[in-house]
Amino acid sequence: MTFRGVFSCSISVVLMPNEGRVLAFPTRDCAKPMSRGEALMAAHDYLSTPRENRSEQFTKSHLENADTLSGIFEVLKDRGNVAPADVLEEAKVLYEWLSAPQHRVGFFDESDYFRGESALYAGASTRLVGSREETERWLDRAEASFRHTINPAPMLARVAYIRLALRYDTGRYDEVTELIPSLHLTFGKLAMAEEYWKCRFLEGMAFKAMGNLDQAAVAFEDLVSAAQLPVDDGLKGTALINLGNLKSGQGDHEAALRSYSEALPLLKRANRPVALADLKTMVGETLNLLGRKTQAIDAYLEAVADYISIGAATQAAYIQVVLAEALLDAERPREAEWQIAAALPTIEREKMLPEGLAAVVLLKESVRQRNANPKALAEVRHHLQNRA
Amino acid sequence: MEISDDLGVSLSHEDDFEREIETVFRETLGLIHIALVSHYQLKEQEATELEKDLFVWFRRFCYRPGASIRENRPFLLVACCQFAREYQKYLVGTGVLSSDEKLKLILDREPVDVAHDFSRSLQLFDFRRSDA
Repeated sequence: MTFRGVFSCSISVVLMPNEGRVLAFPTRDCAKPMSRGEALMAAHDYLSTPRENRSEQFTKSHLENADTLSGIFEVLKDRGNVAPADVLEEAKVLYEWLSAPQHRVGFFDESDYFRGESALYAGASTRLVGSREETERWLDRAEASFRHTINPAPMLARVAYIRLALRYDTGRYDEVTELIPSLHLTFGKLAMAEEYWKCRFLEGMAFKAMGNLDQAAVAFEDLVSAAQLPVDDGLKGTALINLGNLKSGQGDHEAALRSYSEALPLLKRANRPVALADLKTMVGETLNLLGRKTQAIDAYLEAVADYISIGAATQAAYIQVVLAEALLDAERPREAEWQIAAALPTIEREKMLPEGLAAVVLLKESVRQRNANPKALAEVRHHLQNRA
Repeated sequence: MEISDDLGVSLSHEDDFEREIETVFRETLGLIHIALVSHYQLKEQEATELEKDLFVWFRRFCYRPGASIRENRPFLLVACCQFAREYQKYLVGTGVLSSDEKLKLILDREPVDVAHDFSRSLQLFDFRRSDA
């Protein structure tokens, strides 16, 4: 690597003398640090400008400044759970810009660090909006960049977490429960509270999916009490949702609804629309079990609308199938068919059910004949439930 | 490099964080300067300018997750050695600087290894600090 390469930010615009030593360390723009407040203001200025209205000069002036870039990632982090589809688009733009050989940012390892961050944000967002194959590729890109940073361990651990979350998404729960304790320990040693608790939560979710409900409850209660490290409202609220869901599964529906009501203000305060959509789903499930069919259907409908509005297509498709079953049960077959017809394209496009293909074909045909097949619907739901 | 000692008292967490960064950098600066001038043979002015950039980098680096500001000191030394090495290699490579045996030896070593040796000095510093 040449000195120009190392001195990555703006040496290229510095005129070099024709003789004598090529140095003088001319004052570089990027050497003038911004306060965090200034960086966040610049970040908001960049992000609030519609992507199609950002000129090359506008983009360059913002993204060449490492402080502004740090601010942009800070803002995107907050938006990750609110608008993953938007974060994905922004992260893609950032990754592309940072990967252009003529664009170098900051000092030493900062270009690699920021490129890794953009790929990690893209990967995490892609996972949330349901494009699972693409997520792997973004995570590979993130790892490739983080490996060149001075202290890669914390960043690589963050990538490892998304990889395990992806295994959870694809139903490989035993792999999650085997591998996550080590990652949980790593985050604890690094005092990364947010990731530490996310690991415990994911472990609880994997136990729950495997039917190991006692261990799942211990994990969620651990998180709600948060004795070791501080935990944020969003994650605590999500743990409460799942505790409520466990109670509901054990027949204690009133206790479940109490957990849900405890979760609601936490999730609203944390602005977590994905978790709020999950909450509506679980409220729907509990109301359905209590026989309050109309209220359950309303809750499911709200959850579907929420998932669609945040771009979580696969989750929306799954809840549409659940909703269709509830509608058939409530003798509203036409509405059930609409929901199935809306869900099937996503189920097929995202290959959500490779092992339940026959049931999907059967269901598709029954909807075409305007006579939704409850057996095929139940089978599709069963397969999806095992993967959701 | 000069970092102002006249730091206003602020109760905000962010100000405390920024002040801690400056304190840790200032504590490590002597060692950084020795590394740059005595070992990597940078001139005083070159070293001073490089230290400014190191501070800008270190400040942002401390906002990355996974280590406290104090735990980040060894990484500061790695960055220092890496930067000094690349700079001097660039000058030697372009014929601006001629390399003597001592410089050649240190340029042949991995910056991480050189920084590791310096980190031992930091540990000694910490030991003395806790002993004081």
